[in-house]
Amino acid sequence: MIPVQHFLLLGALLFSLGVYGVLSRRNAVLIILSVELMLQAVNINLVAFAVYLAPDEFVGLIFALFVIAVAAAEVGLALAIALRLFRNRTTANVDEVDSLRW
Amino acid sequence: MSYEEGLFYVVAAVTALGGLGVVVNRNVVHAALFLIVALLGVAGIFLLLSAEFLAIVQILIYGAAVTILVLFVIMLTRVRDVPRATIGPQAPLAVAVAGSIFGLLAATILMTDWAALGATEETHLVPVRRLGEVLFSRWSVPFEVASLVLLVALVGAIVLARPEEEE
Amino acid sequence: MVGMEHAWVLPALPFGAFVLLMLAGRYLPRRGDLLAVGAMAASAVLFSFVLADLTDALAHGEFQGVFSGTDWLKFDTFHVRLGFYFDRLAAVMLAVVTYVGTLIFVYSMGYMKGDPRYGWFFAAMSLFAASMMTLVLADNLLLLYGAWEAVGFCSYLLIGFWHERRPAAEAAKKAFITTRIGDVGFLIGIVLLWREAGTFNLQEIFRFAQEGGYSTPYLTLAVLLLFAGAVGKSAQFPLHVWLPDAMEGPTPVSALIHAATMVVAGVYMVARTMPLFQEADPVALDVVTSLGLTTVVLSATIALVVRDVKRVIAYSTINSLGLMMVALGAGSVTAAMFYLFVHGFFKALLFLAAGNVLHATDRQTVDDLGGLARKMPLTAVAFGVGALAMAGLFPFAGFWAKDEILVAAREYHNQVAVAVLWVSVALAALYMGRLYTLVFTGQPRDRHVWEHAHEGPPIMVGPVLLLTLGAVVTGFLAFDQVGEALGLGGGIGQFVYLEEPHTFHMPWGEAIGSTLLVVASLGAAWAIWGGKGELAVQLGKRLQPLYLLLWNKYYMDDLYQWIVNRIVLAGGAVVAWFDRVVVNDTGVDGSAGLTALGGWLMRQLQTGKLPNYALAIATGAAVIGAVVLVSRM
Repeated sequence: MIPVQHFLLLGALLFSLGVYGVLSRRNAVLIILSVELMLQAVNINLVAFAVYLAPDEFVGLIFALFVIAVAAAEVGLALAIALRLFRNRTTANVDEVDSLRW
Repeated sequence: MSYEEGLFYVVAAVTALGGLGVVVNRNVVHAALFLIVALLGVAGIFLLLSAEFLAIVQILIYGAAVTILVLFVIMLTRVRDVPRATIGPQAPLAVAVAGSIFGLLAATILMTDWAALGATEETHLVPVRRLGEVLFSRWSVPFEVASLVLLVALVGAIVLARPEEEE
Repeated sequence: MVGMEHAWVLPALPFGAFVLLMLAGRYLPRRGDLLAVGAMAASAVLFSFVLADLTDALAHGEFQGVFSGTDWLKFDTFHVRLGFYFDRLAAVMLAVVTYVGTLIFVYSMGYMKGDPRYGWFFAAMSLFAASMMTLVLADNLLLLYGAWEAVGFCSYLLIGFWHERRPAAEAAKKAFITTRIGDVGFLIGIVLLWREAGTFNLQEIFRFAQEGGYSTPYLTLAVLLLFAGAVGKSAQFPLHVWLPDAMEGPTPVSALIHAATMVVAGVYMVARTMPLFQEADPVALDVVTSLGLTTVVLSATIALVVRDVKRVIAYSTINSLGLMMVALGAGSVTAAMFYLFVHGFFKALLFLAAGNVLHATDRQTVDDLGGLARKMPLTAVAFGVGALAMAGLFPFAGFWAKDEILVAAREYHNQVAVAVLWVSVALAALYMGRLYTLVFTGQPRDRHVWEHAHEGPPIMVGPVLLLTLGAVVTGFLAFDQVGEALGLGGGIGQFVYLEEPHTFHMPWGEAIGSTLLVVASLGAAWAIWGGKGELAVQLGKRLQPLYLLLWNKYYMDDLYQWIVNRIVLAGGAVVAWFDRVVVNDTGVDGSAGLTALGGWLMRQLQTGKLPNYALAIATGAAVIGAVVLVSRM
């Protein structure tokens, strides 16, 4: 019916978009959103593999489940950090956070 | 083209457009909303993959909780509503790198002989019951650890995000 | 009993004096001058004993020479000895060094009295004496070269004795550098000889050459390079320019080093290595003769216009050295060594007598002198004898010696040489006559100076008188009867020779001819420069261009200075540029700069901005992925 490559390609596409977003966005929150996008792509991959290649042991599904859980935790923490950053410097612009330079 | 494929293309397009919107849109709130679209699209993909439980979990957690969290934080980190460019100076290079990553992945995917790995064009439905059994027996430890992770995140977020105290 | 095998003691004594003077001179009574003089005198006495041993050996038959000394360095093929060889040639030379040297040392006690560096003077002179004697006695070329350099160094020290005076410092530098040019050739020649023969020992090298060990072109080249050293040291054209300037040194130094001993070292060296010259192509000796003749003409003509007393005598020394080289070029070691011997006496006499004048009047140029015969009669007589000996008038020593050279040139059938030599006889008489006339006769040019002139103390007059005696009698050594009476086995011709001894025959042609010529020239000198000297002034105006040429010493000094400025210094500037720009700026600073640049570039990566780091990570991952993909394809 639907060849597995389709799902994988969609995952690759989403992943690449996420990478672009991480590298080019200035707002910290938007970077976190892009990371979320990348995690979505990972999940698609995992589930696709689980369903198409190893249907009896659905390890991929379990894995994807945990990915969702941990991603949620991570998003919470990341956003808390972004909030803290904003409070300290009144900016969410990551370009301006460069006090660790030489 | 079978109608499942067609359905797939539609859902995939929605997801992809949502993803695009996340990374391209100038407005932060708009970008967040596009993420919701993408998230829901992914849920649709899960359905196409016959992983219904996962689809529901996706909608519940991402579509609801995470989205609201994101919107709240956006609200809290707004700076005087001055429209600032949200695309950074690395954009061209980022395009190049992201493009090359996509190229690599696509090449790998297309060059692999999936049939030899045992892929069929059939999807197999996974009964939720079975999923639950395995989750709590074989994967019980990671399950508990995951709950600990969530606890830590919870506490950490509170600590980080609470207001400054007067000493 | 002191014998020839103890010849090594002769240089050891003044060397010991030098060491003691350097270490403890300050604490010795009278700064140790008696120690130095004593060492020299002891050497002279010892030499007499050694000479007696020599005559003894001669009486007993064939005699070559006696070796002494010790091994010094010994590697596989490289063998250096601190070796000494005493033979008749060395005896002639050592006689001059020890006897004349002692007299000059004694004289110095008076001349240098009161000088702040009195002690150092005697130390340096002692070192010189030791080095000179080592040079004479050396049995191998390496030791000879070492001593050669040492005497050159002592010459430098002593010319620049009053180094606070700019001209003296410059003269010392000039002497050293000019002789150095010759020494380079000398060393290369030594190496060439050693390379084929495998030894530095002179006698062994002679044997090797005589057996045909060297190819003729090779040997000729080596011998000419050896001669290069002599050109420098014995002030032959074109390296003669240092000797007149060397007169900046104290007069005893001029007498000992730049008249009697060091400058004749070149002559001695060529005489010593004559067996090699004989085996080489005759062109080598032709070069010697040619340069000698050029030197003679050059110096004799310049001496006619020089106004500094010591410098006139210096040019006369260059003249004499040229004559000796011509004699050697004509193949006559006898004539050359005979002239060397008598020259040591009368030239030192001239210098010491001039020293008396200097000491008494504190003036050195003829412009300030004149009419001193009345005030300094003894010195005048002494100087006169020396001048006549130099001019070569019968019966003074120079007469016999220069006639021997004329004979040698005639027998060698070198017409050009003979002609030039006759002209030089006239010129020598002319300029010596001029000098005597201008200094001792006529009206004093500076009344005040003349008033204060007086004879020196006995310690200065004594040696002068003894040297006067030498300038008179030493010429008679040409006679076989005299030589036999002294136990030398004959006259100078029987004592020192190249291939076979020759008996002395009075050369009537040369004798009468040269006497007439000398008398005529002396008369001319009296006429031109005597009295008020108007004739001299008129001649000077008439022959203005010639006069200028001579006054500027044929512009040779200017030429050399131009060469130094344009070529040497320009070359130096290029090298300096290379060092500054290529080596320093590019090599050293450049590599440092590159490193710093690399560091700066590296630093730019540390922007502190997360997006940059994320980009780097992503790029890296993409690259690795690409590599893996390509390798799996």
